[in-house]
Amino acid sequence: MALPLTDVVANAVMMSALYALVAIGFTLIFGVGGVLNLAHGATVTIGAFSAYYVSEVFGYSIWIGALAALLVPALFSAALYRGVIRRVEDDPITVMILTLVTAIAIEEIIKTAFGTQPAVISSLWTGQVAIAGGIQANNLLVFGLSWVIIGLLFFAINYTKTGKAILATSMSTKGASLVGIESDRMYLYTWVLAGAFAGLAGLFLGSIQTASWSMGRSPLVLSFSIVVLGGIGSIRGSVIGAYIIGFLETFTMSYVDSSLSGLASLVVLVLILLAKPEGLFGREFTE
Amino acid sequence: MSDTLTSKLNPLSLPLRQQLGLIALVLLAFTPFWMGFLYAGDQGLLHIRTITIALFIGMFAMSWDSVSGYTGQISFGHALFFAIGGYGSALLNLGWGVPPLAAVVLGTVLAAVAGLLIGVPALRLEGPYLSLVTLVAPLILLQVFIWRSDIFGGELGIPNPDPLVATSGFAQETYVFFYVAFALFVLILAVLLAVTRSDAGSVLTAIREDEDAVAASGLNPAKFKTFAFVLSASVGGLAGAVFVHTPMASPTPSQLLAQTVSIEVIIAAVLGGMGTIVGAALGGMFLSIFRSQLSNVDFVVPGLGVSVGDLDLVIFAVGTLIILFALPGGVLRWGIVAGRKLVGSDGAAADGGRTPVEQTLEKFREFFRGGRDD
Repeated sequence: MALPLTDVVANAVMMSALYALVAIGFTLIFGVGGVLNLAHGATVTIGAFSAYYVSEVFGYSIWIGALAALLVPALFSAALYRGVIRRVEDDPITVMILTLVTAIAIEEIIKTAFGTQPAVISSLWTGQVAIAGGIQANNLLVFGLSWVIIGLLFFAINYTKTGKAILATSMSTKGASLVGIESDRMYLYTWVLAGAFAGLAGLFLGSIQTASWSMGRSPLVLSFSIVVLGGIGSIRGSVIGAYIIGFLETFTMSYVDSSLSGLASLVVLVLILLAKPEGLFGREFTE
Repeated sequence: MSDTLTSKLNPLSLPLRQQLGLIALVLLAFTPFWMGFLYAGDQGLLHIRTITIALFIGMFAMSWDSVSGYTGQISFGHALFFAIGGYGSALLNLGWGVPPLAAVVLGTVLAAVAGLLIGVPALRLEGPYLSLVTLVAPLILLQVFIWRSDIFGGELGIPNPDPLVATSGFAQETYVFFYVAFALFVLILAVLLAVTRSDAGSVLTAIREDEDAVAASGLNPAKFKTFAFVLSASVGGLAGAVFVHTPMASPTPSQLLAQTVSIEVIIAAVLGGMGTIVGAALGGMFLSIFRSQLSNVDFVVPGLGVSVGDLDLVIFAVGTLIILFALPGGVLRWGIVAGRKLVGSDGAAADGGRTPVEQTLEKFREFFRGGRDD
């Protein structure tokens, strides 16, 4: 079981970046719209299978597949919000039931359409890079792209007008609408962003490991832990939470038992909820 | 019209709806007889087995309703309790040779302890956070089961433990276990009705409506919430434990622990009527029977290539949503009100006219108002 430490650390650093991508989308939707989107994991799966369909079934380049992995989940996410969630967004129970059932429906449809065998998505970049004893170029690319995307989001949220409007909506819908921000449109933006992020994460996960109908489940569950740990609605918290959870997860799987996947993070989630429900960087939900 | 216990239990002095309920229960008790008339041979026996399973799903739904329907603390992972009861009992029986009856009792105790473990955090957490914990708890348990598959059998589950009653032959087995299930159903129904219609039940309803008001009148909401969780968990655990000791079920995650089990129970209770116990029982039974009938339908949805039987959960979810919008009190409440209008004894709404679903939503809205002041 003794894996070289550098390999485990390199893997943890990269996987954590992926988890951060998924968790940021989840926290955006919850922080701005107050909606717990349990279909977020299914969006990850949709991303992976859009890329698979375009690149492996139609035979286009994987980069066109990546474009599909960006657009299809974003559209799906927008449709889910516009078509369903917007009508019930004040009823968190209905939202939770509905998104959970949507997730199950999507998994079932993908299972029927593509089968239960894991699907292989080709690498974005083949070969090896001589860093830290040689790592897959694909993994390095995934890591780099994830960070570029996270950086762009940071910039967009903090420095562009639309980004600031999203922030304002997450703080106070009433205040935002007083200064002329259409909250409904901001919610739509967050859903589109979250969908695109989840889709890309799905593509990356699929190209590093394999894609399967239930591949979205563990990122979703990890997202719960990451988001609660980092503080709901906080992007910075999500990134830091993703690294804590990502390292915890990789180390447990490498050094303790690989079937323990997800367990450690779930325990962390429950402990955080009990001890410090607002998380590390969260605004407290005041009553 | 004295309010003594005897007059309350005298069938002739009961209100019409309760008399109807009793008649339905008696009809249910005679299922094996009229099934025998309607269907010849094994077909009838199979239908009796379907109803037996439906009785258990009804018990699961009642278990959920007794905590979530009354106190408004929505649990998204009630399967946890069914699984702890079922697996606990089965493992005690298989591993240590504990006789089934004792194993069932111990399994129930284990589930009650789990209820305490979930109920105590519930005192600190509110709304979506509690739902998140309940959503995650069964996932943790399933992960442990997969981790120690040598003990828990992973995703495939463990073999069937000894049946609760020794029987010989398919027909005898069917009849005996139908009555085992029916007896347990009536027991759970009676206990939960007694509790929820007692003063304690009123306190639980009051917690759903306004927790601060309960605290202000000198009652400790924490105590009652914990009580509701433990009661609900033991009922669910008991049903789960007996379920695995029948030939109709075995301790597998898909029957006891999967996320779909937890969701089915919620859908059933919302369909039938949250916070009524009877409605939840009806919803659970209906859902289970309808589902098993649906899986016999071979019709394939055009364009998707999926048979209707595979989409049962989706169909129910859509149905639930329609009901949530159209009849927020559930089918049972709607039936009672419609029946009263029909009979001509339309009284004022007993609960101030707001349904439990609306009250629970109200609580959630208040919770979210901090973030979204609209």
